Amino acid sequence: MGFWSTHRVRVCRSSSPFILSSPPISFSLPLSGASAISAYIDLISRDPDLRPSGGRVAAMLTKFETKSNRVKGLSFHSKRPWILASLHSGVIQLWDYRMGTLIDRFDEHDGPVRGVHFHKSQPLFVSGGDDYKIKVWNYKTHRCLFTLLGHLDYIRTVQFHDEHPWIVSASDDQTIRIWNWQSRNCISVLTGHNHYVMCASFHPKEDLIVSASLDQTIRVWDISSLRKKVSPADDILRLGQMNADLFGGVDAVVKYVLEGHDRGVNWASFHPTLPLIVSGADDRQVKLWRMNDTKAWEVDTLRGHMNNVSCVMFHAKQDIIVSNSEDKSIRIWDATKRTGIQTFRREHDRFWILAAHPEMNLLAAGHDSGMIVFKLERERPAFSVSGDALYYVKDRFLRFYEFSTQKDTQVVPIRRPGSISLNQGPRTLSFSSTENAVLICSDVDGGSYELYIVPKDTAGRGDYMQDAKKGAGVSAVFVARNRFAVLDKTSNQVIVKNLKNEIVKKCPLPIGTDSIFYAGTGNLLCRAEDKVTIFDLQQRIVLGELQIPPVKYVVWSSDMESIALLGKHAIVIANKKLVHRCTLHETIRVKSGAWDDNGVFIYTTLNHIKYCLPNGDSGIIKTLDVPIYITRVSGRTIYCLDRDGKNCVISIDSTEYIFKLSLFQKRYDHVMSMIRNSQLCGQAVIAYLQQKGFPEVALHFVKDEKTRFNLALESGNIQIAVASANVIDDKDHWYRLGVEALRQGNTSIVEYAYQRTKNFERLSFLYLVTGNKEKLSKMLKIAELKNDIMGQFHNAMYLGDIQERVKILENAGHLPLAYVTAVTHGLKEVAERFAVELGENIPSLPKGKVCSLLMPPASLICHGDWPLLKVMRGIFDNGLDIGRAGNEEEEEVTGAEWGDEELDIVEMEGMLQNADIVAELEDGVVNEDNEEGGWDLEDLELPPDADTPKAAGNVRTSLFVAPTPGMPVSQIWIQKSSLAGEHVAAGNFDTAMRLLSRQLGIKNFAPMKPLFMDLLVGSHTYMHAFATAPAISIAVEKGWSEASSPNVRAPPALVFNFSQMDEKLKAAYRATTDGNFPEALRQFLNILHTIPLIVVDSRREVDEVKELIEIAREYVLGLKMEVKRKEIKDNAVRQQELAAYFTNCKLQKIHMRFVLINAMTICYKGGNYATAANFARMLLENSPTEIQAKKARQVLQHAGDKQDANQLNYDYRNPFVVCGTTYVPIYRGQKDVSCPYCGAQCLRSTLLSYSNKIIGNRYNYQLKAGFFFIEALELAFFPLSVKFGAALAFAWNVIDQLLGAWESLLAAIFKNPVTYLGYED
Amino acid sequence: MAATPDLLFGLRNSFYLGAYQAAINSSDIPNLPADDALERDVLVHQSYIALGSYQLVINEIDSSAPTALQAVKLLALYLSENKEAAISSLQEWLSDAAISNNLTLRLIAGTIYMYEQDYNEALKHTNSGGTMELHALNVQIFIKMHRSDYAEKQLKIMQQIDEDHTLTQLANAWLDLAMGGSKVQEAYLIFQDFSEKYQMTGTILNGKAVCCMHMNRFDEAESLLLEALNKDAKDAETLANLAVCSLHLGKPSSRYLNQLKLSHPDHMLVRRLASAEDNFDRAVQSIA
Repeated sequence: MGFWSTHRVRVCRSSSPFILSSPPISFSLPLSGASAISAYIDLISRDPDLRPSGGRVAAMLTKFETKSNRVKGLSFHSKRPWILASLHSGVIQLWDYRMGTLIDRFDEHDGPVRGVHFHKSQPLFVSGGDDYKIKVWNYKTHRCLFTLLGHLDYIRTVQFHDEHPWIVSASDDQTIRIWNWQSRNCISVLTGHNHYVMCASFHPKEDLIVSASLDQTIRVWDISSLRKKVSPADDILRLGQMNADLFGGVDAVVKYVLEGHDRGVNWASFHPTLPLIVSGADDRQVKLWRMNDTKAWEVDTLRGHMNNVSCVMFHAKQDIIVSNSEDKSIRIWDATKRTGIQTFRREHDRFWILAAHPEMNLLAAGHDSGMIVFKLERERPAFSVSGDALYYVKDRFLRFYEFSTQKDTQVVPIRRPGSISLNQGPRTLSFSSTENAVLICSDVDGGSYELYIVPKDTAGRGDYMQDAKKGAGVSAVFVARNRFAVLDKTSNQVIVKNLKNEIVKKCPLPIGTDSIFYAGTGNLLCRAEDKVTIFDLQQRIVLGELQIPPVKYVVWSSDMESIALLGKHAIVIANKKLVHRCTLHETIRVKSGAWDDNGVFIYTTLNHIKYCLPNGDSGIIKTLDVPIYITRVSGRTIYCLDRDGKNCVISIDSTEYIFKLSLFQKRYDHVMSMIRNSQLCGQAVIAYLQQKGFPEVALHFVKDEKTRFNLALESGNIQIAVASANVIDDKDHWYRLGVEALRQGNTSIVEYAYQRTKNFERLSFLYLVTGNKEKLSKMLKIAELKNDIMGQFHNAMYLGDIQERVKILENAGHLPLAYVTAVTHGLKEVAERFAVELGENIPSLPKGKVCSLLMPPASLICHGDWPLLKVMRGIFDNGLDIGRAGNEEEEEVTGAEWGDEELDIVEMEGMLQNADIVAELEDGVVNEDNEEGGWDLEDLELPPDADTPKAAGNVRTSLFVAPTPGMPVSQIWIQKSSLAGEHVAAGNFDTAMRLLSRQLGIKNFAPMKPLFMDLLVGSHTYMHAFATAPAISIAVEKGWSEASSPNVRAPPALVFNFSQMDEKLKAAYRATTDGNFPEALRQFLNILHTIPLIVVDSRREVDEVKELIEIAREYVLGLKMEVKRKEIKDNAVRQQELAAYFTNCKLQKIHMRFVLINAMTICYKGGNYATAANFARMLLENSPTEIQAKKARQVLQHAGDKQDANQLNYDYRNPFVVCGTTYVPIYRGQKDVSCPYCGAQCLRSTLLSYSNKIIGNRYNYQLKAGFFFIEALELAFFPLSVKFGAALAFAWNVIDQLLGAWESLLAAIFKNPVTYLGYED
Repeated sequence: MAATPDLLFGLRNSFYLGAYQAAINSSDIPNLPADDALERDVLVHQSYIALGSYQLVINEIDSSAPTALQAVKLLALYLSENKEAAISSLQEWLSDAAISNNLTLRLIAGTIYMYEQDYNEALKHTNSGGTMELHALNVQIFIKMHRSDYAEKQLKIMQQIDEDHTLTQLANAWLDLAMGGSKVQEAYLIFQDFSEKYQMTGTILNGKAVCCMHMNRFDEAESLLLEALNKDAKDAETLANLAVCSLHLGKPSSRYLNQLKLSHPDHMLVRRLASAEDNFDRAVQSIA
């Protein structure tokens, strides 16, 4: 039989029902055995295209495989994961290749079925067999709808047309027929081939058919006229005509006859889009043909198959040709280069047929013992997730996708694989976020990696081709920031490399590893055939091990505490030590997964998105049409890549798994809120809850009373059970309620339940055990009424009522029993009466027995319920309550927050009024042009090596000479700086003071001591280095940036800086607004004290500092006067004066208004109406609030033309400044001195008069400059550039304590002629 | 197959990274060879010293103990205010050719002379190296001497021996910090690596915080330091750094400083402050 199927050369066909006009072309038998091989070798050596490397044998990506009889025909369903396989045995199988199950079989053909085809949109398929029959089936109804008869020999192929209701069939009767499956008629017979027609198929778009025949030709048929003529209506009419020109149909004409094969052609098919045809023949060749409107010609021949080529086709999506052959191989050819790319070989099975999926990237091939569904190339994009970023490869580029913005950028082009082989694209990707480096692994050269560095500014650099560092290795992953591990499979070790691709170390692996994955810094997850281990590369120890079926991918949770190991059909969840938590089995392939924020693992299979809770519970979230690769899960959003490498975002409903998770985590509050708020219902959830031991939760979902009742009983919730039982009201439920209530000890419910079912016996017994005699007597009566003697007797017994019992027995006619009872219990009278009645029949009483009164034992607890059994119910019922209470609390809290906000608003007002100044200050800061300070003068050179002994580096030399110590950073600061603050930070107080003294004339530094100390403390940090050795201190430098070069010293980062001054000023303003004058004063003084130690960076800041000094000065002066005013109680005039002078200070508007009101009020009260009126007017000019304005107007009105009562030393018309020492006005022309630091002025006379008195001054700012210069550069020019307004003065804020050594001060100044010139001005 | 696992790895690492209690707790390792057991004891006792339990170390190590342990005891003695006695016996031992080459003794000698700020003498005993610890100590001494060029050479030696060794990484970070500039970032990353790999210790947190401060990221530094303070409220470096950090953030620092003065009167910062105060007064005098 092998002969037939192998060679198809039917020498004699007695079964043939007709005689061919011409005999089949005789074929010589193919070369057999050795000669075939030698001929073949000959062929290879002559053909330059057949380089051995071109046909690398590789494993194919098999998706599904069946074992069966020989498969002759195959067809994919266009939408569903189905494939039809028609077998040599006559059976047609319908498989689900995704689930791997046989869905159906159709067994009506007699003999082999060679052709089968699904309809594109209808639930139909067609088959054609060696029984000459074409059958059209409905797979839904599992029925053969009809059979098309007409062919006179085996049918080779059948195919539906995509649009028209046509079927084309090819037969050994040398014809091709076109059928209308709606009218079920043959509408055309295409004759012309003069041997078996091995295949015929429609062109996907055009009105063409291609056919191949053993007559060594391929024919292209034009069927356009058929299309025009045919309308269903005239099919019947045409039938006769068709019959008339049988074998001579004019509707389809041969367009081209392609000759070139020198054996019979087995297959020919169209290119889906281009005018190309590919054919395969018994001459072992695959030929490529091209056609245009007028002709068709041979383009090329693909040689390589070693036996008859059985089927060949173009790949729809890639530029390749796929062919298979009886030489047991499938070959992949490059359609443009026309060279072999890859060969897949089977051991024993010859291939017969190929089929391509119409939409997806799937192929199928039928062979001697079954079929395979396979893919040529992996479709999973290589990707790696790092924080908010996804790096992935698409086409020839590494791309970057930001989850939060969904921005997708092309980052680096990657090298195209040099080889043309399939599956050489990137397989995995590993990313180091700190170094921005990417490792891409592929199968190129038997496994290799490439290392790319992603440029920092990703935009616009996408075309720059990096010269990537490469290396060989099956897999490579980053194991630390700047280390990656490469697996060397041959020696079973990992090679750890740095980013320069240099080997750092090699490390043998504990198990035979075929793949490695990241497992936390410095650790690797090694995968072997049957297990995985986590291996510490440094300690070289195994941290964890797990027996597991082959793992394909691993997914770590973001906290690296949990790991999901994805296999082909299983997911194993473990912790970081690989301690197994749970395993999930899937029937279909697991594709990808990611951890959500709650520790739920979300994964995809071929067709579902599913979840897995930490306890192993899993379920479906969503069904998928096409496979996706999850990259990240964030809340209800799933980010994924599809097979085209496109980023997609999918929203999911997470309610179910979040609910289950909460339940699992015992976060009952959450559970309750979900129950309250979401529409989470359904049998599944109820069953789940019940199964998980939460009937009480399930109770909240259920409406059905019976279920409710059951759940209530299960959770012991009697109240709900009673309510349900009342509704259901049937005996069984009452009974069960009674049992449960009894178990709990809730006797009233038990009673109720028994009453409802009129279960008197139980009721009586209940009364007995609860000691309820009263009810028992009632029961006795009821029994009496019901004439239930047994009941009566029982009850009497329970009651211990002997008379009654005797009576009952008597009434029931049991006189002997009644007698015995009476006698036993000593009821003599009655007994005698019975004895009389009984006469001779008196029963004899047993002798020697002592009788006792049978009384029911008294129950311990009479009436009411027994102590109730504790029922696990609290959590959820309380949960609900807590939930409610929680809500209330929340409301309260929000209330409080509102309150807070109101408070904030109050504060805000204060802030707002300060805002204008702040804004001004900020404006200044924004506009600053950032000039670097004078620090680039000279880089520090460490002492050259020359003067250090060379021996130092030598290990174990006898003479070791320690190097001379280097220069501490603080020393360098001192050398490079002439700024006081920096000298202080360096601890060089001496120089700092000299500098301050020279630059600002400051003499007494005592008040600055804490500031000095703070600067010093802040200049160094401390670090514990080697455990027991003393700590290292490190100088804190200013202006650090990533680009700062090491060993070049920047100036110290001072703890005081200009921006803080801003804060301080705000604080001081606030204190002023709050009326806390001493505090405000302290703060303004602090500002003044700190400023000399500040270092600013720009000229603009110098101006701002100057401004700040002025502001502080004004405030300090004013506040001092205010404090003073509060001190003096008795001198009203002086009080008024001080209040008035205060108004002379330059203050913020808000403060000015306060000051004016204050002055106005005091003066008004003091009877100085004119002055008060003046203040009122000033106040009105200062945009007062409503109330303030009103007050001012009142004062104005009341003051009218009234004069001042007292004479004040205050004349607002005459401009003046206030003396900082004596608080009296200094009018123009009066001799005064002003402080060059802050500009405060004071009367010279007072100064001189004070100067002799004061010794031991605390503050002694000896000042000589009119301006305060901070910038180093300016300091250099200081003596020349400065103009001195009033060269000598005193920091006004210290003058009242006065500066002692006036003489020494003068002397100091006289030494400097410039200074002096200014002074006497 | 993998090389024999290093049984003391975890213990050593804990010690280097300042997880002293963890080091002590994990010291009970079964089937430890004798050599390793001695090293274990040395590490454990050093951990106790680092925790300030000097007396315990002094009491536990008797005169029959091996030299290495005796050396550790010496350090405990030195730190528990028996400075002179400790130094004199140290000198005595170092002059004894039989034991002067003991690696632990040399390490302790280096440490003690570091405390004495006699770096020349310290280097005399440590410069030839021999263990990673000695090399690390050398790096530290050179940093103290402000000779980062020498420290760098030492580090190179360490890197050649084992680039991924915890001490190599640590020494690298110290040196990076001492060199400043862009190197600070690298130091930060090293500490970051540690924090991902091992449990957070005060040392790691302080290291990170110090890096942050040198990168002028004081807010971040503060939160790290507060975390460190949570772990050990009396850690000298944490308190000192918190004081520094607070000042830079414009917050009061006095509480941390006072705490430091109380619990670590010998700390570098405390001594520095004291001398600065004298300095200030002297400077005021000279100016006046």
